[in-house]
Amino acid sequence: MSKRPGGQLATRPLHFIWIADCSGSMSVSGKIQALNTAIREAIPQMRLVAEENPNAKVLVRAIKFSDGAEWHIEAPTQINDLKWVNLTTGGLTDMGEALELLSEQLQIPPMTDRALPPVLVLISDGQPTDNFEKGLKTLMDLPWGKNAVRIAIAVGEYVNLEVLQQFIGNPDIKPLQANNAEQLLKYIKWASTAILKSASSPPSQLNNKQKSGVNLPKLPDNTPFSAEDIW
Amino acid sequence: MVAKKAYWQILGASVRGSFHYQHHLPNQDAMKWDFESSNSSILAISDGHGSDKCFRSDKGARIAVHVAINTIKRFLASDQNILNQQIVSQELPQEIALHWKKLVRDDIQQHPFSETELNLLKGKSNTLAYGTTLLTVLATQHFIIYWQIGDGDILIIDHQAMVTRAIPKDEHLIANQTTSLCANAAWEDFRCYVQQEHLPKFILLASDGYGNSFSDDENFFKVGSDIGKLIDSEGSSFVKENLESWLVETSQNGSGDDITMGFIFQE
Repeated sequence: MSKRPGGQLATRPLHFIWIADCSGSMSVSGKIQALNTAIREAIPQMRLVAEENPNAKVLVRAIKFSDGAEWHIEAPTQINDLKWVNLTTGGLTDMGEALELLSEQLQIPPMTDRALPPVLVLISDGQPTDNFEKGLKTLMDLPWGKNAVRIAIAVGEYVNLEVLQQFIGNPDIKPLQANNAEQLLKYIKWASTAILKSASSPPSQLNNKQKSGVNLPKLPDNTPFSAEDIW
Repeated sequence: MVAKKAYWQILGASVRGSFHYQHHLPNQDAMKWDFESSNSSILAISDGHGSDKCFRSDKGARIAVHVAINTIKRFLASDQNILNQQIVSQELPQEIALHWKKLVRDDIQQHPFSETELNLLKGKSNTLAYGTTLLTVLATQHFIIYWQIGDGDILIIDHQAMVTRAIPKDEHLIANQTTSLCANAAWEDFRCYVQQEHLPKFILLASDGYGNSFSDDENFFKVGSDIGKLIDSEGSSFVKENLESWLVETSQNGSGDDITMGFIFQE
């Protein structure tokens, strides 16, 4: 008999969650189309990252928020099975409610304590119209909320960057400012590949109550405004 | 190696994680065991943090197991009563932590950091480069003492094959967060447990790469009872021969991390 001792082996789950602003203003100048295109183009690259890191089981979900918040992709979906359905717009910017909805799923259970740090990517073009602080507090009171990798992408120039910075919760990481479709694509791809890759293999870190244990890759250049910027 | 004469015997193995292998990283775990006498067996396992800033944590882990074994042996050889609560929970952890830092600083003096390494530390304490955890057990015929700083697991398997943690999980440590020997006043982060009654049949120590390779505690704890059964039925040499390949398979299909496992048993 040479049977390996122990029960069922399992790779570690890595939850990747898009939190997308679908308020009415996201329909202006093709922002929501650009976001849908960017996420769709990022998916094949996410699959490659997942293949290169077989010990992480990448599971993707998405939340959309406008008048309230709801799951756009509710079930944690393996990247190979992910099919992106276009987001549509209309309504306000209930970002706080999105964070409350997210928090329900970051509790233990349904999360396990052996998961890899979740990656949360918040994308917004405006400022919250509900109680953002309450939603953020609910999130940050959770072990997996404060230990998540939190990235924010500002779409256009009318974004409340302070709010996005509070979501990130780390002064070393600034919101990425996308002022056109090309920049949005670049940042979405960065979040879905470089960040995903780092989160797939985090080393142990000294206990730090505010940050995830992930060595973040170099941030992409935050390109300054130019005449070609359309948002 | 299996020690033959001690009351408590020890076997173990340490394997480089499949992720470390793929990315040309060293095994950052270390393990050491020793016997102060036929009645006192000591096992220590350490898991170097491996982050960018902890670029010498493999060395830090080797220093940690060396210091832990030597410090306990020194206490055992002295006139002090190692069961004294003050010694178990404060003096011994403090001596381990301070001695570890001293040896780390000696090593830095002998092998100064390069400019690149200093940039990685960004002004933080030099000892961070060697950051590591430590699990240690002193097993005697009449009592067992367990110490833990940082992540990893110490499982005790009783005579009915029930498996429990000697020291409960620190619920604050998730997402690869860990306490560490490199922290200021690290001895305050040691947790310990003295067992003088109902001593277990087996004790398992493992770096966190092992536990993280199973879907849950139930599947992980089965390792303890399974190895115990194999030692009873097949003998310790069988486990010793197969252990490394089991750990490699576990890392490949589980966490991808380095795995180190030491097992304390009677035969």
